[in-house]
Amino acid sequence: MSRTVTYIRIYLARIIVIVGCLSILAGYFLTSPETAGLSSELQLWSSAISGFTLFIGLITIFARYIRSVMNREQNWPFHLYCLIVIILWVPFGFLQGIYSDIYQTLYLSTKITLHITIIGMMGWFVVSAMYRTFRVRSFRTAVLAILAIAMIFFNAPYLTTPYPVFGDVSYWLLNNPQMSASRAMVICGGIGGVILGIRILLGLERGALRMTGGE
Amino acid sequence: MAKMPELKSEHIWIVVTIAFLIPMLRPLNTPFPMSDVTLEIYKIVESLPEGSIVVMGGGGVFAFDIESSPGMISCIKQMARKGIKLIAVPLWSETPQFHKYVIDAARVDKDKYGGPWKYGEDYVLLPYIPGPSDEVVLDSFLRDIHKTVSIDLAGTPIDQLPLMQKVHSYKDISLWFCPHWGFVPVIRIVVAKYNITSISFAQSAAYAFFSPYMYSYPGKVYMTNGYIGGAQYEKLAGDKGLGHMVIDSYTTLSIVTVAVIILGNITMLSRMREEEK
Repeated sequence: MSRTVTYIRIYLARIIVIVGCLSILAGYFLTSPETAGLSSELQLWSSAISGFTLFIGLITIFARYIRSVMNREQNWPFHLYCLIVIILWVPFGFLQGIYSDIYQTLYLSTKITLHITIIGMMGWFVVSAMYRTFRVRSFRTAVLAILAIAMIFFNAPYLTTPYPVFGDVSYWLLNNPQMSASRAMVICGGIGGVILGIRILLGLERGALRMTGGE
Repeated sequence: MAKMPELKSEHIWIVVTIAFLIPMLRPLNTPFPMSDVTLEIYKIVESLPEGSIVVMGGGGVFAFDIESSPGMISCIKQMARKGIKLIAVPLWSETPQFHKYVIDAARVDKDKYGGPWKYGEDYVLLPYIPGPSDEVVLDSFLRDIHKTVSIDLAGTPIDQLPLMQKVHSYKDISLWFCPHWGFVPVIRIVVAKYNITSISFAQSAAYAFFSPYMYSYPGKVYMTNGYIGGAQYEKLAGDKGLGHMVIDSYTTLSIVTVAVIILGNITMLSRMREEEK
């Protein structure tokens, strides 16, 4: 791709990010009708543009999977299956309407049921993972294993019904040490996200917005 | 101690499958404690006068919202029995299917199952309402329902539905249910701004995160806790559904899980002793 087009892409992306950020901040901190109107208009544009990402995803999938099928790469039958399902499903939704009974039934019977199955399979994987993971080799792993077993039992209805104190202990453990630790992790993640965003905007992250010379 | 063989994952999965199948084939009727909050929610619904309009709304992913379904299905049966009206307001794209699912599972529709509810008069399913955020959609909906949404899920103009002719804004709504993960926007707008009591049949992970809101808005925000909350509500409503089944499954699976952990440690110890020898 020519250098001109590359530079246009780089600087256009930066300009869009800066304008978007400024409009959101202005709409939040300033109360004039003009900034509110501008902020609302840009948010509408953002909603419209985000719809385009679906098309980009479709185009990318088609490009990669068609190449995979033609070259008979690994798992090409699954890629072909995916393309056929997309080609059938999208017009089907348009013709029948996404709220028609047949569309809803098919959606519930396929995607939603498979999604539920994937989540339900975690139960099997968790138990086999616990067999291998919760092995007492040191003090820390002993604490981990003992607390895991304790939480399993303290939440068990057959124990909390005759002995409600176990439910209270479980409630305290979840709402004090566990919640404080998980909130600390969430706060750290949030702060890390903000710092990463600032680094991307300042061009300090290599590869972000095609900026070069990052640290 | 003889060296114990390392179990393959497939062997453990077979045991787990049996642990799931036992309560399905033969219900164990495991006792479970009742929660004060669940009891309070039941009493709130019982105290609503006939003809009250309740909204079931929010956003979530169907596969995760299954955990909220036991309590919501029992509550729908309770509302149908009391002559309370229901409007379903989905804020995410998969939520209309979930709302249809819980209403069908409750078997309250007059035409389909001979139940007490007639569509359009006793309950209405609205379509997915898109917007930049759930808060914006909720605010718009509660300020003026007919300007926010014009048709129902089947495409019928809502002006033609008797129930929707009676409800125009937040002033006509008595209670809000949210059987989804996205309860926080409901709290921010429905409770904090429009002062409507909101109840969530929360998933256990959501309960862990969002239960402090019950203390921030006492008497206005209520949450049940996962499947056990659903089982508690089923018991209060005189039902035996998915909640009870899951409690039974937890009974067998908790014992299997602890046994597996202990077995793993015994295996490790036997190998260590064998290696020492």
